[in-house]
Amino acid sequence: MTPYRLSAGGLIDRRAPLSFTFDGRPLTGFAGDSLASALLANGRLLVGRSFKYHRPRGILTAGAAEPNALTTIGREGRTEANSRATMQELYAGLEARSQSRWPSLAFDIGALNGLFSPFLGAGFYYKTFMWPAPLWEKLYEPFIRKAAGLGTAAHVADPDAYEKCWAHCDLLVIGAGPAGLSAALTAGRAGARVVLVDEHAAAGGTLLSETARIGGRSAPDVVTQTMAELETLANVTILLRTTAFGWYDGNVFGAVERVQKHVRVPAVARPVERLWRIVARKALLATGAEERPLVFGGNDIPGVMMAVAMRTYLNRYGVAPGRQVAIFTTNDSGYALAADLEAQGITPVAIVDSREDAAPLYTGKARIVKGAVVSDAQGGKALSSITVLRNGQTETVKVDALAMAGGFSPIIHLACHRGGKPQWSDVQSAFLAPGDLIGLDLAGAVATTAGIAACLADGARKAAALLDEMSINATPASFGAVEGDIVSAPVRPLWTIPGVKGKAFVDFQNDVHRGDFDLAVQEGYGHVELAKRYTTNGMATDQGKLSNVNAIGLLAEARGLSPADVGTTTFRPFYTPVSFGALAGPHHGHDFQPVRRSPLHDWARRLGATFVETGLWYRSSFFPRAGETTWRESVDREVLNVRAHAGLCDVSMLGKIEICGHDAAEFLNRVYSNAFLKLPVGKARYGLMLREDGMIYDDGTTSRLSEHHYFMTTTTAYAAGVMNHLEFCAQVLWPDLDVRLASSTDQWAQMAIAGPKARLILQAIVDEDLSNDAFPFLAAREVSLFGGALHGRLFRISFSGELAYELAVPASYGESVAEALMEAGAPHGIQPYGVEALGVLRIEKGHVTHNEINGTATAADLGFGKMVSATKPDFIGKAMVGRPGLVDPDRAQLVGVLPLDPKTSFRTGSHILAHDAAATLENDQGYVTSSAYSPHVGSTIGLALVKRGASRHGETVTIWNGIRNEFTAGRLCDPVFVDPGNEKLHV
Amino acid sequence: MASLVPCPHCGARPKEEFTIRGAALARPFANADPAAWMDYVYLRDNPRGRYEEHWHHTAGCRRWLVVTRDTATHEIAASRDASLDTVGPDTAGGVRP
Amino acid sequence: MSDIRITPHITPRAALQGCTRLVSRAIRLEALPEGHIIHVLGKPGDTLPMAQLAAVSDGAPHAVRAAGPGQWFIVGDRAKTHFELADLFAALQPEAFGVDQSAGRVRIRASGPMVERMLAKGMAADLSLSRFPIGYATTTLIGHIAAHVTRVGEDAFEIMVLRGFAQSLWDHLARMSGEFLED
Repeated sequence: MTPYRLSAGGLIDRRAPLSFTFDGRPLTGFAGDSLASALLANGRLLVGRSFKYHRPRGILTAGAAEPNALTTIGREGRTEANSRATMQELYAGLEARSQSRWPSLAFDIGALNGLFSPFLGAGFYYKTFMWPAPLWEKLYEPFIRKAAGLGTAAHVADPDAYEKCWAHCDLLVIGAGPAGLSAALTAGRAGARVVLVDEHAAAGGTLLSETARIGGRSAPDVVTQTMAELETLANVTILLRTTAFGWYDGNVFGAVERVQKHVRVPAVARPVERLWRIVARKALLATGAEERPLVFGGNDIPGVMMAVAMRTYLNRYGVAPGRQVAIFTTNDSGYALAADLEAQGITPVAIVDSREDAAPLYTGKARIVKGAVVSDAQGGKALSSITVLRNGQTETVKVDALAMAGGFSPIIHLACHRGGKPQWSDVQSAFLAPGDLIGLDLAGAVATTAGIAACLADGARKAAALLDEMSINATPASFGAVEGDIVSAPVRPLWTIPGVKGKAFVDFQNDVHRGDFDLAVQEGYGHVELAKRYTTNGMATDQGKLSNVNAIGLLAEARGLSPADVGTTTFRPFYTPVSFGALAGPHHGHDFQPVRRSPLHDWARRLGATFVETGLWYRSSFFPRAGETTWRESVDREVLNVRAHAGLCDVSMLGKIEICGHDAAEFLNRVYSNAFLKLPVGKARYGLMLREDGMIYDDGTTSRLSEHHYFMTTTTAYAAGVMNHLEFCAQVLWPDLDVRLASSTDQWAQMAIAGPKARLILQAIVDEDLSNDAFPFLAAREVSLFGGALHGRLFRISFSGELAYELAVPASYGESVAEALMEAGAPHGIQPYGVEALGVLRIEKGHVTHNEINGTATAADLGFGKMVSATKPDFIGKAMVGRPGLVDPDRAQLVGVLPLDPKTSFRTGSHILAHDAAATLENDQGYVTSSAYSPHVGSTIGLALVKRGASRHGETVTIWNGIRNEFTAGRLCDPVFVDPGNEKLHV
Repeated sequence: MASLVPCPHCGARPKEEFTIRGAALARPFANADPAAWMDYVYLRDNPRGRYEEHWHHTAGCRRWLVVTRDTATHEIAASRDASLDTVGPDTAGGVRP
Repeated sequence: MSDIRITPHITPRAALQGCTRLVSRAIRLEALPEGHIIHVLGKPGDTLPMAQLAAVSDGAPHAVRAAGPGQWFIVGDRAKTHFELADLFAALQPEAFGVDQSAGRVRIRASGPMVERMLAKGMAADLSLSRFPIGYATTTLIGHIAAHVTRVGEDAFEIMVLRGFAQSLWDHLARMSGEFLED
């Protein structure tokens, strides 16, 4: 036994010792310990250094609000910085390290900051390191960052799994203390779907630290029995080690479950953390109340602790906080601690009560000093004495531990997450939850209910009332009479303590002390939002759980206002920090987003394709061959081979939409700017879609497969967008039209077969006659393949400018058919080609993509003026396409670009200047939208949008790359570099 | 973190299943005054409070909805099918009781 | 006309052919045969008689599934020939149009006592039997992937997904099942 571990008592398992290390030193605790209780039991009062002044810090609380005892747990990828020792369950082999210290916890060079502290007040960094400015980045910031800061993140990947999960319930109960347990039992017995969450490993909340007896049973026994009953109910889900961290729209609550943060090596098949989204018809907040610290000098010295925390260590963990304990209280709750200490044989050396008129029901032996305050505490790495001030007289009392009982603040955070403002109550001296909550109620101490009996009753009553709103009958659970219940009257707040000499901390984690607030008010930053930023109070990882209300109280007194007038800063999720791992869930690394695979993916892979990500798709980019050393070699070969022989390209990722219905023709006529009413069955037509503002939205082909059945293809990039757009048109704009839409993108493996030999090759597998007469340009028909073994859709359309077809077959047959085509095409020189070659082929032909259809181009700009019908009564974009700005002759128009010297080159994005004009914004004539090396032309070629471009063919220009400061002499030309007469398409 | 949008056909679903288009406005006639078209294409009221918007249940039933959303609180007062005000959830979901 | 005629070995390839089923007492995950999937496009607001749709289905339980207003899927394990499909589409006329999605969507069956807990890791819909009864079908996100989900038994669901996403969804479901496969 260590000097601090009591010989008996507590809920720890003394038969199950656990070894762990702190800063490398081996220590022992017991199963049921928190890291904090185990450290205290080992006499480790000094646990960390503070953020700014590097002051020695100990353990202040026993729960989620802990600002001081932050440690780094684990190693390598499992390193978890800033872990609260109070929330970390002890496990065998746990490795914890202290933070914010160098070179060691006991001797810290940064503590010199403390000597300079008169200069390091609020706003110090802003004021001092302002000038000279260049030194900020080079000197000041790196220095400050090294000296300050909390734990350090690991630089290796986290090896563990995280997941997300949804849950649905009638009643969500947050907090398994007296009110929460009672509520869950009431609702569970009524058959409601209940989710009960609690952030601790064990349910019970304050009941686990209570000495009161409930219905003749100990408080922890009542917890055990209640949990046992809840576990038998199939309609109740119990989530321990789970922090509800936010309340969101639709009554959805976010919670994080630490599934395996209490084991040394997590099981691989299970996550270490699970992010819950809990959809609750109703929710009950039973989160209890946070005890407030008191702001006296040296209130951060190790040994100073919250009174309820001291009770918890004493009663739940069997750890004495010290041997000479004093209690500084503003209310009756401090006397419960005195009684518990005495029960363990530790008579407090003094109870300092700020109330002159205090009349506690206390029968113990401790000396009570009424109408007094602790103005200062003394000690270095451990508390040695306190100064008690009464009626102007000071007295020094030797102590090794001091409890602070400054009254309670309801833990209302979640109730404020959806915009409601906390309300100050003068009666309760606390901020209470907003009044008009929907779908959420509060029970127990968070609703200022005082005492165990009242909390048990409140939880049951509120749960029954919420269930009644859902027409579920419930009988409030009852637990019997409570003996030894302590019902504290509301406190009279004590914000400004007189006689303080030392540094009196408000925000322990960010090292904000009382003087900082005086300074903030003095310098005009007294508004609560300004004071927060000026002092950084409440901006640490604990988000001011212990400090915010004290800060508001101090500001109120300094400004002569009520806390109600000062108000609070905004409560936002998360209640406590949530790991990025939990937020990302399984979606990281390879699984960051899903992969969309073409039905020809494996075919392309077998042929050695290099893949490129296009949205979620993996597309074959090019097919390198032995001996080719650069991608350009492969692409040039593929391009030339298409023009000379034939190529096969996977175009399965084009969007494909089946359009059916008796008004399908009229529908297409309205969504395209060109005419579609008279498209014959068996023919494809190029179509242009505009946006309502008159710009081009997307292009593609639509084929009429039968009287009332059309098949549309869209660009890959806009496949999803076009489908949404068509559905908008069909459902919202023209619901009177009979048109039905289905995406069939994934149904078809689609192959472009392009090149002079395309017909020869296709004819080998297609049963129908493909001669130019029988299957002319823009023919589009269902065809039979392999003697009727398979059916597909064949379209005679061309993106490359060559004789070309697109063949669609059911996706499951894609690989088989592609292999058959390669086999049939082998004697004719067929080669696969990828999207790089496809891009070169289309630029050579002057075909546009979304490089040109970039939201700023009209149909006329791209040479499609004739595709905007002048006669149709209506189509998307018709009303605005004729606006003056859209028909301005000075508009940028599509044009080709060539370098004057074929050995020179230029890049996409370069700007066009008049020949030899200076590179200024005024001289800007347009820009290159697409460029590629054309093996057909023998130089780089480009497409560009240039002012009046269509009428400037032949003009010499300067192509300017402003990023690389390159100038290339070039010439504007016709954007069609190959077969301008389209003869190849019709052979 | 999370936010649920009620779909008249599918029930409450997370917002990630939806695509929001913006104000639910009536499309002017093709020959309407240019000012009416400018209003429709470009000008928005941006009120604080209730606002009717077009939402598409993209990863669900693929219907366009008119969602009445409070821009200040995100509270959704109503949602209906943009074209099928009379279609109830029973015909959409099949056999849901 | 070409003088070369080839009739190679034309065979379908299943999207999930490499995915062997995952089985434990708690969970079972398996790819279903790529049979037929017909997307029936009625008029929104129409309530086609289920009997008419059932009549053109293969008659198996849950062969006809709702897919949003006025739309249904007819599914089955056996692949249909081109001519069988044409007959089926004709039988739907004039009220409805049929679109073949047999190769465009892939079916996965997830079953076992832990199936609700497994699917809740990806699906926001309430999966309890009372809210998601046998026969109910809906389209929803599983993780980042949209899928059509039908409850075909107390502890069994069929999940239909676009072919291009099938492998990703399978991988995702397998990971979601991981903790239930340890027995």
